Amino acid sequence: MHLVIEMLRSSVLAATPVLLAGLGGTYTYYANVFNIAMEGMMLIGAFTAVAGSYLAGSWVVGTLAGMVGGVVAALVFAVFAVYLKTDEFVTGTAINMLALGGTTYALRQMFRVKGAFMSPMIRAIPRIRIPLIGALPGIGPVASGHPFLVYVTLALAIVIEWHMFRTRYGLRLRAAGEDPRAVDSVGVSSDRIRAQAILISGALCGLAGVYLSLGYVTLFAENMSNGRGWIALAVIILTRGRPLGLLTMSLVFGFFDGLGLSLQSTRIPPQFTQMVPYIATIVALYLYSREKKRVSAGQAGQAG
Amino acid sequence: MSKNAITALAGIVVALLAGLAILWAQGYPALPSYAALFSYSLFSKFAIVSTLNKATPLVLTGLSAAVGFGSNCVNLGQPGQFLIGAMAVAAFGIACDLPTPVMIPLAIMVALAAGALWAGIAAGLRRRFNMDEFITTLMLNFIADYFTLYLISGPMWDRTTYSPMTKMTNPGSWLPMWDGLSAAFVVSCVAFVITWVIWDRSKLGYEWRVMGQNSAFARVGGCRNEANFTRAMLLSGALAGLAGGLMIMGGMQHRFVKGMGANYAWDGVMIAIVAANGMVPTGLYALFFAAIQTGAMGMELETAVPSEFALVLQAIIVLFVVASRESTRLLINRWAAKLRARAAAGGAQDIGKGEGGERRASGH
Repeated sequence: MHLVIEMLRSSVLAATPVLLAGLGGTYTYYANVFNIAMEGMMLIGAFTAVAGSYLAGSWVVGTLAGMVGGVVAALVFAVFAVYLKTDEFVTGTAINMLALGGTTYALRQMFRVKGAFMSPMIRAIPRIRIPLIGALPGIGPVASGHPFLVYVTLALAIVIEWHMFRTRYGLRLRAAGEDPRAVDSVGVSSDRIRAQAILISGALCGLAGVYLSLGYVTLFAENMSNGRGWIALAVIILTRGRPLGLLTMSLVFGFFDGLGLSLQSTRIPPQFTQMVPYIATIVALYLYSREKKRVSAGQAGQAG
Repeated sequence: MSKNAITALAGIVVALLAGLAILWAQGYPALPSYAALFSYSLFSKFAIVSTLNKATPLVLTGLSAAVGFGSNCVNLGQPGQFLIGAMAVAAFGIACDLPTPVMIPLAIMVALAAGALWAGIAAGLRRRFNMDEFITTLMLNFIADYFTLYLISGPMWDRTTYSPMTKMTNPGSWLPMWDGLSAAFVVSCVAFVITWVIWDRSKLGYEWRVMGQNSAFARVGGCRNEANFTRAMLLSGALAGLAGGLMIMGGMQHRFVKGMGANYAWDGVMIAIVAANGMVPTGLYALFFAAIQTGAMGMELETAVPSEFALVLQAIIVLFVVASRESTRLLINRWAAKLRARAAAGGAQDIGKGEGGERRASGH
């Protein structure tokens, strides 16, 4: 029983950054921008969050700095990919490299350390205890006591579902992805919408970075995003960008990530348990493609 | 060709100026730093030898990415293929003890095969289950990373050391050094020539390039795209694996050490991108990036700029070179369209043929 609670708890924790980045990627997905830069935006956000929190001694500044970091990376992406018409894959890859190199460089340049930067001066984001639910046995430890970003993320999943499918802006954004010329022809700049989508995704990926570096740990380590941005990209493809679908899928991935952590107490070597989320991604892609094949075979059968 | 060279040079100059501005803004002596960067990478025999040694893996990972991207296989698995290639050679070199003339060719084959095998997994998943190779290769990177980490800190750990690494390989598999220049550089040159011949001078390479430009056209033209996809992935993986294998065979350490390979694989991806998947430009940019990385060490020595600045500079170069290439093309297209429009205004021709606005498949 204790183990089950512990695993559910760690699922929520591990799901949050993937979900946050994935929600950002929803915007670029519907705007038809191939956003491979989420990994880099997240990493930059994680770094600027730590830098802001450390220098100002305030988690509020840290959180804002993390978002700004993500947005600045997104701005570079938008300028090159949307306005200079550079290939999105190329720009995204370059930004990921810039993020990896830039944060490693800045780590040494600003804090004179290699590898990781830790300090008691870095303020973590506060945790929230939910009054009534927190006291419940079983549910309490799973639902309560997380960094506040966990709850913000859950709320965002619902808000973004509404924003994307129930508002005029969402409609325009999806239209800009489907057929940019049609959007241009009614006097709305599809380029601007695409750039906005990239900036929003940057802010949310930055927030995912904040969660990584000021959430449960308070430190910055080289390459600490460790593929979560790419897993988010895989999750988006699997759920076709639906925010509520993302929520479910991220929890599934969180579960596997948490499973890896829980297995560390067993005799399985830790390197294998750490592989679990990446293997789970491949398996999920496999199931998805099998499903797609089955559906398209079914449709062909009906047509014939 | 010369037009490409000019836009590339323009991009490099702008990127170097941007790097200068970053250094200056951070209060470093910008010009002396650049002077150190180039004097430590180009202007002495030792500097050149260091640069060539550094270029050895970069040429190969660059070729690996170029063959992949140029054939429209989004192989982002160079880091994993590199590690698996290195690990396979380390295991082979520890297990077998044969004379050098037998050992070295065998070790090279092992490296090629191991890299191809790791890329082959992704190729197989794509062929059989239509799974996007760019995600599977990325995930396989992490799996390779943890797997090799497991081997060097578990079953293959050299107990006489304090950090995770394998035993040294048997000397039969070591490549000779001449005045500090490792024979690994020669091996990568040979690999470069072979890859260039395949890519630019063979029917197979032609089919890959057509597939990279327009896969539907290749299919209509009678190419077997599925088989070609697998072959290109395998060659791409083999080259990355060789890069890893040479890290064990050449150099000084001759063992698989934790964290080896660092960024070589990702650098290769950037090199291919900036070289627009051309073989000769890939070789040249590999040398250029190697010079930056080598020089950065000297820069740290002289003006205390952290050598990681090389990573920043490389990414900036990629962005600016690619942007200058694409925006020049855009300008030329616009200019040509204007000319056509003017000509059409004279005779009433149809000019409504827009540029197709083709987008990279984003997975849906």
